[in-house]
Amino acid sequence: MKICLVYQSLLGIYGDRGNAMVLRQRLARRGLPAELVAVEPGDAVPPDGGVYLLGGGEDAAQVSAVKYLRQDGNLARAVADGAVLFAVCAGYQIVGRSFTVGDDDRVVEGLGLLDVETRRGDERAVGEILSTWQAGPIAGSPAGPTAITGFENHGGHTFLGDGASPLARVEIGVGNNGDGTEGAVQGRVIGTYPHGPVLARNPALADHLLELALGEALEPLPDPEVDELRRQRVAAIRAARR
Amino acid sequence: MPADLRRAQPAELTLGQRARLRLATLAGEAAAVASRAANKGSGASIKGQVLTRLCPDAFAWLLRGRRVLAVSGTNGKTTTTHLLAAAVAEALGDQADRLVTNADGANLRYGIASALSQDRRADIAVLETDERVVSDMIAQARPEVLVFLNFSRDQLDRHHEIKALGKAWRAALERAGQAGPVVVGNASDPLVVWSAQTAARVVWVDTPGKWNADSALCPACGAVLERVAADTRAAQGCAEAGGSAGVGRTRDEAAAGAVPVGEAGTGESGGGEAASETGLGPSTSWRCPECPLAQPEAEYRVRGGEIVLPDGRAVVPGLRVPGSFNVSNAALALAAAAALGIDPDAALRGMRRVEAPAGRFATARFGATTARLMLAKNPAGWAEAIALLESDPVVLAIDSVAADGKDVSWLWDVDYEQLAGRRVVCTGPRAQDLAVRLGYADVSHTVAPDLAEALAGVAGPATVDVIATYTPFQKLLKMAGLR
Repeated sequence: MKICLVYQSLLGIYGDRGNAMVLRQRLARRGLPAELVAVEPGDAVPPDGGVYLLGGGEDAAQVSAVKYLRQDGNLARAVADGAVLFAVCAGYQIVGRSFTVGDDDRVVEGLGLLDVETRRGDERAVGEILSTWQAGPIAGSPAGPTAITGFENHGGHTFLGDGASPLARVEIGVGNNGDGTEGAVQGRVIGTYPHGPVLARNPALADHLLELALGEALEPLPDPEVDELRRQRVAAIRAARR
Repeated sequence: MPADLRRAQPAELTLGQRARLRLATLAGEAAAVASRAANKGSGASIKGQVLTRLCPDAFAWLLRGRRVLAVSGTNGKTTTTHLLAAAVAEALGDQADRLVTNADGANLRYGIASALSQDRRADIAVLETDERVVSDMIAQARPEVLVFLNFSRDQLDRHHEIKALGKAWRAALERAGQAGPVVVGNASDPLVVWSAQTAARVVWVDTPGKWNADSALCPACGAVLERVAADTRAAQGCAEAGGSAGVGRTRDEAAAGAVPVGEAGTGESGGGEAASETGLGPSTSWRCPECPLAQPEAEYRVRGGEIVLPDGRAVVPGLRVPGSFNVSNAALALAAAAALGIDPDAALRGMRRVEAPAGRFATARFGATTARLMLAKNPAGWAEAIALLESDPVVLAIDSVAADGKDVSWLWDVDYEQLAGRRVVCTGPRAQDLAVRLGYADVSHTVAPDLAEALAGVAGPATVDVIATYTPFQKLLKMAGLR
């Protein structure tokens, strides 16, 4: 499986490249073939990726990324052909229908792969976020609520259209716009705000993406270190709210 | 003594001003004592808040009339301030008491005011200045020289946008106009260059670095910057990067070398990597394909560990502080000293006395453990610090309070894969985050969140290298009795 890390130089200032490293390692540890491809503006985006990843970045970088991705066209084609697209923060905003940039809140047309719109919020959302994701059965685990932890840092508020549904419910933090929802899902396109990177802090979500892309269930991958990190972070976020 | 070191007259404070300053300082100290008693921390922050509240003009009053040389940027502020202060002190000779500096790294308004209030007569001030204070420094201190080191991602939970700081500097320099400072700027950093475009005069210094992941886009117009091999001398040291043809490819390699995802993920090493290890850095020059912004011609250049002066003479810095980035810091300090007319040989004599600025690179005893302490606060700093690691095991300390940055996602921007084969002890309150990061990097590690315990666990005759983020670094200095 090919994991495509798209435009790190533009959308990669919050460690989100870690999401690609996590996906690759989780395949490799199960003995499954995995290839990580990092593409930059000017390179052709591979048309045959299993999972495409976008990360967080600044306003000017968002505008450039949209321009190059539209010129290239392969990301939209791959998504139409059933590839998984996982977009975080600024990446989440650009795959939507529109978002705003700059001090004058100029509206920029997004890639339109996710039925969401983003506008500047009253206050920047900065801090640890804890949400609950209604996971399907993943990697041998039964379906059920799963905590997603991470760190959100975004000025935009994202509103979902009819075509998209929320990824998770917020327990602590802001999420999409303060309405209790976090992230968006539309077919195989998933957008979300938390960094961490989010797939390192939430391996069930990583395995969910891999299972979507592979079309088959994966074996569980026990990792006591990540379990301990999740226990610590959930406890810290809940303690800080009190 | 060069004529440019003429004496200035710090402004005399009125009796009323002095009384107010004294009262505010005492109230701040009392608040700090109360804060410490309540176990809420060192009290430094509350002390600053109280002083600034009671005497908002302290910063401006204490700066007035002095000759100010300010140093700012994301990384290297403290060391560069020490290097520049040492150069100035050397040139002042037996008048070295004319110099005042905030050697402890306290670089916000309060820290600067505090340092200046210790020495009311000193007429030359070399001041480390937080990035957020630079605009006020330009407006209120009218500095003669302002050193702009670099900009990179750092504490994004607080700064949000790297470019916002540069915008503020640019505006402050524009307002200062012809009366503004001589900027000594790092020509290799596009955001520094853009920020200094409005300065009355700039002395450019070309410095190779290991990190350029935060300068992908043109700060002026947003286009993707191009990087081209800068000169043949550098290319000899980095055959791989220099050997590739085509601008697009070179740019990609530069990005891959800074954030070697390929190495981490696929085993395809970035072309810039081999060159980085030599300390030369993949010497490239940047330019915007869509607007006139481009790397300016530099008067000073760092090449192969030497500093090339404007007259073409290359000097060997021979510093006691390690690392190629400190050679770059020294080059910027040398250019700043020259702006005061200090001759490079005298400046270097002074700089060679700098050993462990504010505890950085200090070797200290912790019971049966001897440790060398290094500070790294962000991915650019870690890229430089990791290159200096000599021991096995190494201890890495991570925290996430405000001074460290509350979001530790940056751990994934650091190329910890380089540590494979070494034993790493993860410590500090966010040791577990580092452990997970190292697990995915296939680096063997243990976790000991308590600093003392982590150090005790590596006791032995050999010196152990420690890299710490800001808060654990300060704790280590305290434990070692260094502050």
